[in-house]
Amino acid sequence: MYLTKEEERIYDGEYGWAKQVCMRILVKLGELFNASRLIPIEAAHVSGVSYKTLGDAPVDFLEALANSGEKTVVEATLNPQGLDPSHLAGRLPESLVKNQLKLCLLFEKMGFKTSYTCTPYYIKKPRKGVHMAWAESSAVVYANSVLGAWTNREGGPSALAAAIIGKTPNCGVHRAENRKPQIMVEVKARLEKDVDYGALGIFLGNILEDKIPLITGLGRPTLENLKQLGAAMASAGMINIFHHKDKIETKQKPPEKITVDSRDIKETLEELTTTSTPKPDLVFIGCPHCSSGEIREIAEKIGNRKVRTDLELWICTSHHVKEKTRRYTQKIKASGAKIITDTCAVVTWTDKLGIKTIMTNSAKTAHYAPIMNKAEVKLASLEECLKTALEK
Amino acid sequence: MKSLKVLRGRGIVEGRCVAEALVSKKPISFLGGVDPTTGKVVERNHDLHGACVKDKVLCFPHGHGSTVGSYVLYSLAKNGLAPKAIVNRWADPVIVVGAVIANIPMVDGVDVSQIKTGDLVEVDAYKGIVKVLESAQAEG
Repeated sequence: MYLTKEEERIYDGEYGWAKQVCMRILVKLGELFNASRLIPIEAAHVSGVSYKTLGDAPVDFLEALANSGEKTVVEATLNPQGLDPSHLAGRLPESLVKNQLKLCLLFEKMGFKTSYTCTPYYIKKPRKGVHMAWAESSAVVYANSVLGAWTNREGGPSALAAAIIGKTPNCGVHRAENRKPQIMVEVKARLEKDVDYGALGIFLGNILEDKIPLITGLGRPTLENLKQLGAAMASAGMINIFHHKDKIETKQKPPEKITVDSRDIKETLEELTTTSTPKPDLVFIGCPHCSSGEIREIAEKIGNRKVRTDLELWICTSHHVKEKTRRYTQKIKASGAKIITDTCAVVTWTDKLGIKTIMTNSAKTAHYAPIMNKAEVKLASLEECLKTALEK
Repeated sequence: MKSLKVLRGRGIVEGRCVAEALVSKKPISFLGGVDPTTGKVVERNHDLHGACVKDKVLCFPHGHGSTVGSYVLYSLAKNGLAPKAIVNRWADPVIVVGAVIANIPMVDGVDVSQIKTGDLVEVDAYKGIVKVLESAQAEG
């Protein structure tokens, strides 16, 4: 791998341990994946912020890095943490809250923005064609496939190193030739509900391995439909980019082809649902975090109705979007629903809140919750979720 | 010292050492699989369950699991419990990053089934060479 004189000096430790170890992470990974050099990035997004998923493992390393005084040099954002300071902190064991705060302070000390969201693109939308080092798989797919920004699916440590150095190796989807579709996916099923896009994502994630799909037959998906599709695809598989088009010229078609029919979607939905309970403990909307548009839609759908008193309704988003949509969030709050920011049901300790069954419109959550939350899951459309959560 | 076997791979993280091998047929997930405060493999049903990785040349096919696993290698090193070197069949990002931040010499591209637990091995991660110096079975 070619390094500039300056990069070599960092690699050799002339600027101290912290920069050296970050540079070595980037170079060694670059060599592993046949990069030829490092390229500047405009943004880095670090996953692995919740104490629930991290535990104590990274504390030693993060402390050493934070204490070195090195800071992020690009727009650097953080994934959701383990709790919402205003809603959940008081309901969780003190030790968990304390350990989570400790992790958050280490990241803040390094200059990270306290975004605590899996949708950093709602805070600052990356421009088409820019290079980034993002580590939240749903955001990676959205950036590559919907926004046209370029990022590999980083791990927590490599995104952290990229944030400190401001560069990433030019491998994977940072090269145009590695972004081309490799397999045709013809969707014959009619995707009628929001949740059908998530189910399609899980179905494809399970069978595509790491082949880049060119999907036809999505109809007229909203940006949020594509967010659900990508999030689910990335949680079930290794995908980090998809293409979609309605009309495809023959010469553009990749040779391999699969079709998806209604039965595939129906069966996937059924497989992701593990309980038939009519009353879940929690109805959870906002995986990935809600957009302003979704907050507005939910407020309008709720209208003047109230949340049933024998369950909880969580609407999860970033505090950034919450601030922007105050008009609607106040309406949602008036119903008895909770606007939860900075975290989500998957990365907080729902089991410690007594939650044993979760109903959601997110296929990604349905995929993870049985293990991450030790919870039974019911996957349904937004419409059905709200119908269940609200009084008749 | 004359070597019984010379295995050529690729040097990933620089360094050199001579130590006893600890060999697994299974991938290792450091997050949840190895206790950073004892150095012991705690993953249930793992062929190294209960073994301590401290000062060993740890040989296994590849890593798997969360990228948080990289940090466990750093903590092991900080606690003086890290392996002396890592030898893999295929290097993967989790183990590479872990070896970098913990400064553990690492070689990949080696058929680890050629090495037995208890073998005395020399790892030269500058050249990507692993030599078996003494066989555990020959002694036993």
